[in-house]
Amino acid sequence: MSDDFGFFLLLMSNGLLIGLMYGLIALGFVLVYKATDAVNFAQGEFVMIAGILVAAALGVWKAPLWLAAGLGIAAMIGFGFALERTTLRKLIGRPVIAVVMATIGLASILRGIGPTAFGAGSRPLPLPIPDEPIVVGPLFIPPIQLVGGLVSLMFLGGFGWFFVKSRKGIAMRAVADNQQVAMAMGINVQRYFGLAWAMTGMVSALGGIIWGNIIGVDVNLSLVGFKVFPVVILGGLDSIPGAVIGGLIVGLVENIAAGYVDPYVGGGTKDFAPYVLMILALMIRPYGIFGKKIIERV
Amino acid sequence: MIHRECGVLKTTYEADMGLYPLPIAKWTVGIIAGLFFAVIPLTLHEYYLSIANLVWIAVIGALGLNILVGYTGQVSIGHGAFMSVGAYTAANLATRLDSPWPVNLLAGGLMAAAVGAVVGIPSLRIKGLYLAIATLAGQLIIEWTINHVTFISGGVQASIEVPRPRLGSMVLSSQRDMYYFLLVFVVLAIVGTMNLVRSRVGRAFIAIRDQDIAAEIIGIDIFRYKLLAFAISSFYAGMTGVLYTYFLGIANYEQFQIGVSIDYLAMIIIGGLGSVLGSIFGAIFVTLLPIVIRLSMEAFGGMFLPQQVVLNLIPNLRLMMFGALIVFFLIVEPDGLNRLWRNIRSYFRIWPFAY
Amino acid sequence: MRHFGIGLLAALVAVMGALGALSPAAAQQEIVIGLQCDRTGPTQIVGTVLCPGFHDYIALVNSKGGVEGHKLRALEIDHEYKVPPAVESYERHKKEGAVTMAIYGTPQIYALAAKLTEDKIPGTSPGFGSAAAADGIRYPYIFPIAATYWSQGTAAVDFVKKQLGGSLKGKKIAFIFYDNPAGREPIEVLEDLAVIEGFQFKMFAVPPPGVEMGAQILDIAQRFRADFVIGHLFGGAPAVSIKEFKRVGYPLKKVVSFVWGSAEANIDAAGGFAVAEGYYTMQFAGVGSDYPVLNEIREMYKKEGKPAPKEMASTVYYNRGVLIAALHVEAIRNALKAKKDGKITGADVKAGFEKISNFTLGGLVPPLKVTPTDHEGGGLVQIWQVKGGKFEKVTDWYSAYTDVVAKHIKQAASK
Repeated sequence: MSDDFGFFLLLMSNGLLIGLMYGLIALGFVLVYKATDAVNFAQGEFVMIAGILVAAALGVWKAPLWLAAGLGIAAMIGFGFALERTTLRKLIGRPVIAVVMATIGLASILRGIGPTAFGAGSRPLPLPIPDEPIVVGPLFIPPIQLVGGLVSLMFLGGFGWFFVKSRKGIAMRAVADNQQVAMAMGINVQRYFGLAWAMTGMVSALGGIIWGNIIGVDVNLSLVGFKVFPVVILGGLDSIPGAVIGGLIVGLVENIAAGYVDPYVGGGTKDFAPYVLMILALMIRPYGIFGKKIIERV
Repeated sequence: MIHRECGVLKTTYEADMGLYPLPIAKWTVGIIAGLFFAVIPLTLHEYYLSIANLVWIAVIGALGLNILVGYTGQVSIGHGAFMSVGAYTAANLATRLDSPWPVNLLAGGLMAAAVGAVVGIPSLRIKGLYLAIATLAGQLIIEWTINHVTFISGGVQASIEVPRPRLGSMVLSSQRDMYYFLLVFVVLAIVGTMNLVRSRVGRAFIAIRDQDIAAEIIGIDIFRYKLLAFAISSFYAGMTGVLYTYFLGIANYEQFQIGVSIDYLAMIIIGGLGSVLGSIFGAIFVTLLPIVIRLSMEAFGGMFLPQQVVLNLIPNLRLMMFGALIVFFLIVEPDGLNRLWRNIRSYFRIWPFAY
Repeated sequence: MRHFGIGLLAALVAVMGALGALSPAAAQQEIVIGLQCDRTGPTQIVGTVLCPGFHDYIALVNSKGGVEGHKLRALEIDHEYKVPPAVESYERHKKEGAVTMAIYGTPQIYALAAKLTEDKIPGTSPGFGSAAAADGIRYPYIFPIAATYWSQGTAAVDFVKKQLGGSLKGKKIAFIFYDNPAGREPIEVLEDLAVIEGFQFKMFAVPPPGVEMGAQILDIAQRFRADFVIGHLFGGAPAVSIKEFKRVGYPLKKVVSFVWGSAEANIDAAGGFAVAEGYYTMQFAGVGSDYPVLNEIREMYKKEGKPAPKEMASTVYYNRGVLIAALHVEAIRNALKAKKDGKITGADVKAGFEKISNFTLGGLVPPLKVTPTDHEGGGLVQIWQVKGGKFEKVTDWYSAYTDVVAKHIKQAASK
């Protein structure tokens, strides 16, 4: 039965690596929520725009990879800042659903702009990473997944350190905790909001590059944004390690469902299996595994 | 000049608590009813009536969602799935048991209400965004179930044709027939919702939205009322699904996917959370917007750009404008079209005086 | 107060009446074709190329004086692959006096089938659902006019049989498909063939939107170890599948894709022709730029002083647009020949479709034979392979197991 076991290992490795990459996108979501309490339903579209920019730079303007990637990251950081200044600043203090709808509207705008500015065809995003899988025993590991997982861990580690140890990170956490007190302590709240969105932009840029390589750059790239939800809800909306763990769990569950449940029920469970797990987890821990409990007072 | 309350005196409590106690309100409602019952269907072309029918269906759905999100404060992204539950229940009954359309309508609504109550169970523990995503999970699971369980979906194609509704010997098939058919239900839904929110149940909903912990303390069983809100809202959604199926002549789950749920959320937010008039405005706005954009682009776009570019531009422009308008409304008027309307109304109320 | 109310009512009636009078634009001498397109939805990779092909052919016909002296007008409406806008576009086309409609999308044709039949307007659904609509008696106003998913399924199995040495007994065929009605349509025919030919058949569903299918492809390659894969994906999914197959080391020359995963656009999205070397594709229209009608279109653009549109380079979907337009034009031509006064209705165009035979447009269109009982025209496809940087023709027009397909059509009609 070692063949079956080999397949199981394959599914595990695939699940874990893909899960890390989900975590990368979830990180963008968590950053914004942690710092500004805003829910970003347009995370997928950020990734898509970043991917389109980099793919266009590579394909149309024939820029070398480092330039294209740098351009993409810089553009997305700028985009994050601009977005916060123009739209999101006006929505501070509104109820949750208002910000949710605003980001949904933003997602719609971005989905329209992408094809209009860059054409509707699908573009590849070639990276100097070989396509042939690395063979380790029974495991086939596509190099791009390895790179994606490493980048993801790097960012998670980096941001984790940032929020705990660096001055700016602690200031950001203070802003998220209680805006008015932070302002009273002399922290420029608006600048930190801008910084949070800029960080999301940067993370989205990397997510766009990696996911764009895996699934091609077109409107459909925004659909990876949907995977974000079970990841952040499982992990807790404002927890960075939660984004990693949530991503890993979702990746594993998806692959197990696809490998072992799908053949019996005709397929398709892969997409909602993480959601079922999420609901079960929420019933036990309503704020996610690592989420911060919101204490309500009358 | 149009000061409404001058000279209006009531002698009984019931008279004072009526839906439209002021004479001008009665007149306005009468004119609007006349417009929609007589003028529009008799003069407009079938194409415009088909658009009106789409609007009516959206109104019923938006009213239902507003009960849940606007009045009870539970965000739900599962509205599309409840519509599909209603649609498939009715379609299955119609084709398997040959039951008449009133039975199908009621059964579809009740089945959707039951499913909605089940999806609402997590609301006991979960709140806010977490609950919204849990309802999203409900949407996906229901979609998958309908897609895969052939007993419900009627085969691989997952679409069931339904025969046209019959009224005695008359078969309702033209857009004009459909218009009257739908209008009856829209009126029922509007009146029903208006009365619901004035009732004890409605007040409980509003209490839960505003301060659910305080509501629980003063004795409102919030779990029961939350489930009731989900059930009633899903009943409306189920009715919407059934009516939509009768409008199209076919039930197909791909019409009720997550994009639809988000569209309905957009309707009630743009229209105004927690108001009946807001739901109506929102439904009209969101349904008509893509059509208006397309018509205007077709009329004017040809002047500036070559045809192919226009054709490519129109649908993307629609997406962009849809999103831009949502964001615009949220920034400028977060309480939606309803608040805009009320501002206009209170301006005229004391016109020509300033205050 | 009373006067105010009545006056208002009167004014409104006047306005409404004026609006109502703006109804149908009478198509004098001009024949309207209703075209549905998906330029912003999940299959925009197809729509943004197919619809320009349609428009270009109509423009070509008009530049030569139209059909029997009548000019054509193709009215396009984008429906994002959703059903409500499709229904609204149908009503709009009807209002403009369309006598024939090019429907796009499987859920759309299902939703509109009843209306098309009621309103007696023919609608085409080439290369997608519903396969049962090939039955011209049961569905008099639906015209697949190209290989339906059932015919594509049988043709694929026949091709695989030839590739695997003439016999499928004991072999393993994997079917990777989109988990929606369009994707599931061929399954019943494929399962039937599995029994007839004795091969092991396993299905692998990819839920829409199909951006991530690593586990399914791992299963096909490593656990099930398929001898051949039949792919039925569309939108962005075919490109993802090509990349995934490469990533697990499964040879692309053991993969054949149905008609909607088989275009330059899909190959480009996967990273280019070099990446997709060996991939087999099924086509229902000719591939490449080497057809007389395409040269004529290029000539037409040159005469207007404009360069040929870049969509022409994406020949697979563009040529399909031309094919669909050409078949509509032929049906209209047949209708006009039968009715000399030029006032044709949907029913006339329906009869016109049913007369189409031996119309090949220089090889771009397969030799279809549409009859009142067979609205599919024969279920003909070609197989082209990605080789050396471009598409290379592997087979000529063929169809397979037509008896099996006919049996299923009959079964569907009796339901």
